[in-house]
Amino acid sequence: MNCIPALTIENVASLDGILGDFLKQAEAELTVVIDRGGNVISQFGDVSVMDVTIIAALAAGSFAATRELARRIGEVEFNALYHQGNGSHIFMNSVDDDTIMITVFGRRTTVGLVRFYSATTAAAVSELLKSLPVTGGHGFTFDAADVTSVPLFVDRPV
Amino acid sequence: MSIINYASREIQFKIVYYGPALCGKTTNLAYIHERVCPANRGDLVSLATAADRTLFFDFLPLNAVVIKGFVTKFQLYTVPGQVIYNATRQLVLRSVDGVVFVADSQWEKMEENVESFRNLEENLAQQNISIDEIPYVLQYNKRDLGNIAPINYLEFLLNNRRKRAQSFEVTSSTGQNVFASLNAVSQMLLYKFSKQSNVTPTVAPPAVAGQPEPVAAPKIVVPARV
Repeated sequence: MNCIPALTIENVASLDGILGDFLKQAEAELTVVIDRGGNVISQFGDVSVMDVTIIAALAAGSFAATRELARRIGEVEFNALYHQGNGSHIFMNSVDDDTIMITVFGRRTTVGLVRFYSATTAAAVSELLKSLPVTGGHGFTFDAADVTSVPLFVDRPV
Repeated sequence: MSIINYASREIQFKIVYYGPALCGKTTNLAYIHERVCPANRGDLVSLATAADRTLFFDFLPLNAVVIKGFVTKFQLYTVPGQVIYNATRQLVLRSVDGVVFVADSQWEKMEENVESFRNLEENLAQQNISIDEIPYVLQYNKRDLGNIAPINYLEFLLNNRRKRAQSFEVTSSTGQNVFASLNAVSQMLLYKFSKQSNVTPTVAPPAVAGQPEPVAAPKIVVPARV
């Protein structure tokens, strides 16, 4: 991803199609595709109960942190990580060099099922991301003077 | 690296607060979290040790202006300042769009400030980013303390490049200029983003208003460490 990623409505619809199929097959609650910097690229499923932005940041950190651990045992990185809770669990797998897929699931399914379907889903997501046209710019035009003349964030007395 | 999503109508940016250990990076984020409108912020997430030293990073998501129906989202991160955590700093810097370098104004911290700034340049270079290409501002923090270096000395140490960055005198514990520096780097990011609509990102960073000429070396000597 050397250019600025710009996802069109069609791109996101295609991604949603892939992720929606995955959620149905794996019977998971939520899946999020993020870049390794922690930015959300796409998400699908029940996002009402959690802050996806924070999950993305922490998941990217968690994935990156274990890379050193993997190196100690002669691996480049771990392709997948699983965090097991009492009722909710998280499974993360590598999509490509720039992208990670996170899946949140509960008691309705098993880690085996999620792992099985996530492999083919990751391959499909990777193909789709590779197929995005590489352009130099993001195509979103606006006049910078409109937004740079006023403070973006206001110090609000408590 | 900014991401624009035409479906959810969002533009995401990543800003990293960088600097030596105990310089006030987390205090910056805590102040912003406390004072920004709750509707425009998420939770402040801190991965810290029991002694409140940042172990991995702090993270604060903020929503800002809406441009043509697109919400701009800024994700603020801090890095752990301690020297041993360089691998973590490299991870947090991944896909960074803008940097706030927080320097500690106390005399005895000058060496650490310079070392941390060099470390920032090296870690950016690993991502093929030059410090001259990325929007960044400098904070001279802890201006309320007694044993502090004058601004011209800090400028000489940290801001004596051909293209100088905007700098702020900051007291992060009281919030002085915390928002001013955040606004400055955010606006530089948006300016740069607006220039990247159709061209490869080789555009020079925006000129900073009122940018002075490079600083001549002041005749000040750093006192020996106590």
